[in-house]
Amino acid sequence: MSGFHVVVLVKPVPDPGCYDRVEIDPATGVLARQGMPSVINPSDRHALEEALVLQERHGGRVTLVSMTPESSAETLREALAMGGDEAVILSDRAFAGSDSLATSRVLAAGIAKVAPFDLVLAGNESADGGTVHVPSQVGELLGVAHLANVLRLEVDPDGSVRARTRIENGYVEVVGALPMVLGVRREINTPRYTSLMGVMASQGKPIRVFGAEELGVDRSGVGMEGSNMRPGKLSRPSFRRKGERVKGDTDEAVARIVGILRAEGVLG
Amino acid sequence: MTGVPGRKGAIWIVAEQAAGKLAPVSLEILGQALRMGREAGGCEVAAVLIGKDTGGLAEELALFGADKVFLVDDPRFSPYQNDTHGAVLAKLVAREDPEVVLFGASACGEELAPTVAARLDTGLGAHCTNLDLKADGLLRMGVLGFGGRVHTEMFCPARRPQMASVKPGMFQPPPRAERKGTVVREDAAALLEGERIRLRAVKVVRVEPVGVPLEGAEVVVAGGFGIGGKEPWALLEDLARELSGAVGCTRPALDEGWPPGEHTMIGTSGKTVRPKVYLGFGISGSPHHTVGIKDAGVIVSVNSDPRAPVFESSDYCVVSDFRKIVPALIREIRKVKGGGLREPSPA
Amino acid sequence: MPEMKFTQQQEMMRKAVRDFVEKEVKPVAPRLDAECHFPDEIFRKMGKLGFLGVFVPPEYGGAGMGLTECAIVLEELGRYAAGFAMAVMTHNLGVEAILTYGTEEQKKKYLPDLATGKKVSGLAVTEPGGGSDVAGQLSNAVHEDGKWVINGRKCFITNSSNAEVNVITARTGEDAKGRPAFSAFIVEKGTEGFSAGRDEDKVGLRGSHMGDLLMNNCRVGEEALLGGEGNGNRMALATISKIGRTGMAAIGVGILRACLADGVKFAKERIIYGKPLARLQAIQMEIAQIRIDHDAAKLLTYHAIGLKEAGAGGDAEVAIAKYYATEGAVRAAKRTMDLMGGYGVITEYPVGRYMRDALACIASGGTSHIMQIIIAGQALA
Repeated sequence: MSGFHVVVLVKPVPDPGCYDRVEIDPATGVLARQGMPSVINPSDRHALEEALVLQERHGGRVTLVSMTPESSAETLREALAMGGDEAVILSDRAFAGSDSLATSRVLAAGIAKVAPFDLVLAGNESADGGTVHVPSQVGELLGVAHLANVLRLEVDPDGSVRARTRIENGYVEVVGALPMVLGVRREINTPRYTSLMGVMASQGKPIRVFGAEELGVDRSGVGMEGSNMRPGKLSRPSFRRKGERVKGDTDEAVARIVGILRAEGVLG
Repeated sequence: MTGVPGRKGAIWIVAEQAAGKLAPVSLEILGQALRMGREAGGCEVAAVLIGKDTGGLAEELALFGADKVFLVDDPRFSPYQNDTHGAVLAKLVAREDPEVVLFGASACGEELAPTVAARLDTGLGAHCTNLDLKADGLLRMGVLGFGGRVHTEMFCPARRPQMASVKPGMFQPPPRAERKGTVVREDAAALLEGERIRLRAVKVVRVEPVGVPLEGAEVVVAGGFGIGGKEPWALLEDLARELSGAVGCTRPALDEGWPPGEHTMIGTSGKTVRPKVYLGFGISGSPHHTVGIKDAGVIVSVNSDPRAPVFESSDYCVVSDFRKIVPALIREIRKVKGGGLREPSPA
Repeated sequence: MPEMKFTQQQEMMRKAVRDFVEKEVKPVAPRLDAECHFPDEIFRKMGKLGFLGVFVPPEYGGAGMGLTECAIVLEELGRYAAGFAMAVMTHNLGVEAILTYGTEEQKKKYLPDLATGKKVSGLAVTEPGGGSDVAGQLSNAVHEDGKWVINGRKCFITNSSNAEVNVITARTGEDAKGRPAFSAFIVEKGTEGFSAGRDEDKVGLRGSHMGDLLMNNCRVGEEALLGGEGNGNRMALATISKIGRTGMAAIGVGILRACLADGVKFAKERIIYGKPLARLQAIQMEIAQIRIDHDAAKLLTYHAIGLKEAGAGGDAEVAIAKYYATEGAVRAAKRTMDLMGGYGVITEYPVGRYMRDALACIASGGTSHIMQIIIAGQALA
C-alpha cells in the first residue's frame, strides 16, 4: 500500500504515578500541576503500537499529532523513540481551556494539515481527563467513519477494515473502509519497549509546531471561547468513613467480620 | 453563565437495550431525569429507544415514569452503530429541542454521546457522578478527574441541549410509576433519509462472564496489588463463593493478570458497585478504586500496612495479612452456615 | 568545570532501560537470586532492544552508543538484579575484546550474534594460580600443525557454563625479557577439549553462572587468535579496566540506589514510638550517609567513564570509582539492613540480597586491594 499514512493522536499527561500530589490552589481554585513529570498518555502507547504494526505490514508513514504546549516536545520525542516518522505539535495560547469538542476541532485541523491520511488512531481514554470523546468527535468533524472501544483491528491492503469493538460482556465486529478514526482500548495489544536504536533515531525525526494561524482554525471554535463546556468549582472529593479499627488477633477479627456479615443479612 | 430564563424544556434520556432487555443504566438515568424534573417543579421527561422489535421495552420505560417514549423501531438499528443511532438522535433532538439529554456511559453510550454532541455542537459532561438541574435552568454536572482525586463542576451555559453521560451503577433505578406515559412510534425511514451510513455491524458475540456479576451483588470480595499472585487470589474467589458474592479487583491487580477479566475491575475506569457488604483485601485505597465503592453499604478493609490510605475510606479496618484472615474467615463462615452458630466476640 | 549532566538522549535512554527493567527484571529479581538463575529470555529481549551491544557499531548489529550508555544499562539492572547485571557486564567484556582487538573476519563472525543477544560472551583470565596475579596464569597454548592446543584451567569465570563465545588468555611463550607472554583466543562452546566445570554456589551476585573452564588439549585454529600473539594480558587488562571495572562501578551505583530507595521508603513507612522512623535523627544520619555514598559513587563512576571515552588513560580514576562504588554499596547495604531491624533479616525484603551482592562485587573485576595499588601506583609515580 504505497503512501499508507496513519496518524496517531498522542497526549502528554502528568504522570499518573504522581496523581496523589495533585493540588488545588486555594487562592485561585485552579489545579496546581507543578513538578509533575509528563508522560505519553498510557492509552496512546497502544494506539501507537497498533500504528507501527500496520506500518510493518503495509508500509507507509506514521505521524504523531498532539495538541499540547510546545514545552512538551521532549515527551513527544519519547514517543518517537518508540516509533513513528515525525511529530506535529499543535500549540497556541488560543487553544487553552478547550473542552473535548474544541480540542477535537484543533486536532481535526492538525490532521488536515498532514493529510492525506488513511487512518487516525487514538487511545480510548486519557489518564487525567478520562473522557472517551475525542476519537468520535474527531471522526465527526473530519466527516469519516469512526469507532471507539476497539479491541482488535484488521486492515486489508484494499482499505477494508474489520474492527472488534467492546460491548458489555462481549464484542461486536464492525466492517467499514478507510479512511476511519478509531479509538483503541488497552487490550488491543502490548506496546513494544523503546530500544536504544529508537532513542538514537528519534533525535533526527522532525517535530513541527503549528499555531492557530498556520492551521487556519476559526478562533471562535477553539479554546475557552470555543468550548461549550465550562468548568466551575474544583474540590477534593472525600470518601471518608468512620475508619473503626478492629482489634485483636486473627480469630477475633474474623469473628467481628462474621458479625458484620450477619448484621447486614448476607450470611445465608 | 446563563440559561434561557423561563424556558422549561424536556429532560430526555437515551435508553439502551441489549439482548432483548433494557440496560440497567437506562433505568438509573431515568430515575435521575425524573428526580430533576420533580425538583424543577415539573418537567416533561422523555426517553428515546432506538433498536429492533423494542416495542415492549418502550412500554416498560413508560411504566417506570417516562411521560413520553420516542420509539424508533427498525431492523437497520440493530445492532447498535454510532452512525445510524447518532443520525436519528441528532434529528429528533433538533426537532423536539429538549433542555437536557442524558446517556448511560456504557460502551455504546460512551461513543454515541460524543458523536451526537459533535453533530449538534453542544456540550457533554462525561461520566458524571452527580447531576442537578438548577433553578436558572443550568445542569450542574459533577465530574471526577485525575484518577478520582479532583471533582469539577461542569456547565454547558450557552448551547442546547445540555448533555451528560452517567456510568452504570452510579445511581439507583426508580420505582414503578403510578401512571403510564405514551409511546410515540417514529418514522425510521424518514429519520435515516439523507444520512451516510458507512459502518456495518456484522456479528455480535455475547460472552457469559465467569462468576457472579458485580452489578447487583450483595456481597463483593475485592483484591488489590497486595494479594501478590494468582494462587493467593484463589482464596478471594473461595471466600466470594462461600458468600454467594462477586469478585472485584483494582486496576493494579488486573494488570498483573490475577482476576479473571476486565469485567471485575472496580474504579473510575471500571465498574461502580453498591453491595451491602464490601470486603477489600490487599488494597491500598487509591481514589481510582474508592470512587467505585463510595456508595457501598458497609466497607471492611484488610491490609497489613497500618498506614494504608484505604482505612480512611473504610468503616472497619483490620490490620492483618489477608493470608491469615481469609482462610480463617472461610472456616468460620462454613461453621455458621453449617448451623454451628458462634456468638461474635464483643466489639 | 562544567556541571556534570547527562545529555537529553542519555536521559531518554535511561528511561527506556528503566521501563524495561521495572517491567521485566524487577518482578523476577527475587527468583534470580534464590535460584541463581540466568534469565535467557530476558537476555534475548534485551538484545533486541540494543542493551547488549550498546557500544557496538550498527554495522555489527549494535546500538552505536558509548561507554556511558553502557554503564547506564548496568546501573539500571544493578538496581534490581546485580547478579544478572554481572552476567551482562561479563558479556560486554567479551564483546569489547573482539570489537577492539579482533580482525574484520572475527568481528563480522561474532559481534552480530553477541550484540543482539543471540549468544552470550565471556572473558576468562583468572586461574587458581593467578587472579590478582595475572602473570601467575599457568594455562598455556602451543602451536602444533597449524593449530593452537590449549591446556589449563580457569576459575571463578562468570558465564562459564552458558557463554557460547569465550575469550581466554593462555601463556604462549616469553617476551624479550624472558618474562611469560600471554595471548588471547576466542574459543566457542562445544569445541572439543573445552568444557565448563560445575557451577559454583555463590553467596552473592546470583543470577549469573560462575565456575571453572577446562581446556584439555583444546584445539583451535589460527583464526581463533585474538589481537596478535603475546598481547593477551595487555588486552585483557585494558578491557577489564575500560569495561569491567567501570561496569562493576555502575552496578555498585545501582545497588547504592537500591539501598537509598528502600531505606527511605522503610524509614517513612515504619512507625515507631508513634512516629515514622524517619523522624529519628540517628536514622537521618544513616540515610544521609547512604545518599553521600550514592552521589559520590555516581559522580566518580561517570567521570571515570567520561575519561575512558575521551581516550586512553583514566585507569586510576576507574580504580577509584570501582573501589568507592563497591565498598560504598557494602556500607550502604549494612546501614539499610541496620535501620530496617528485623525486617532487614527476612528474605522477603531484598536488602539482604543487596548486602550479599555488594560483598561479591568487591572480588569482581579486581579486588579493593588491587584498586588501591593501582591508585597508589599513579599517585606515587
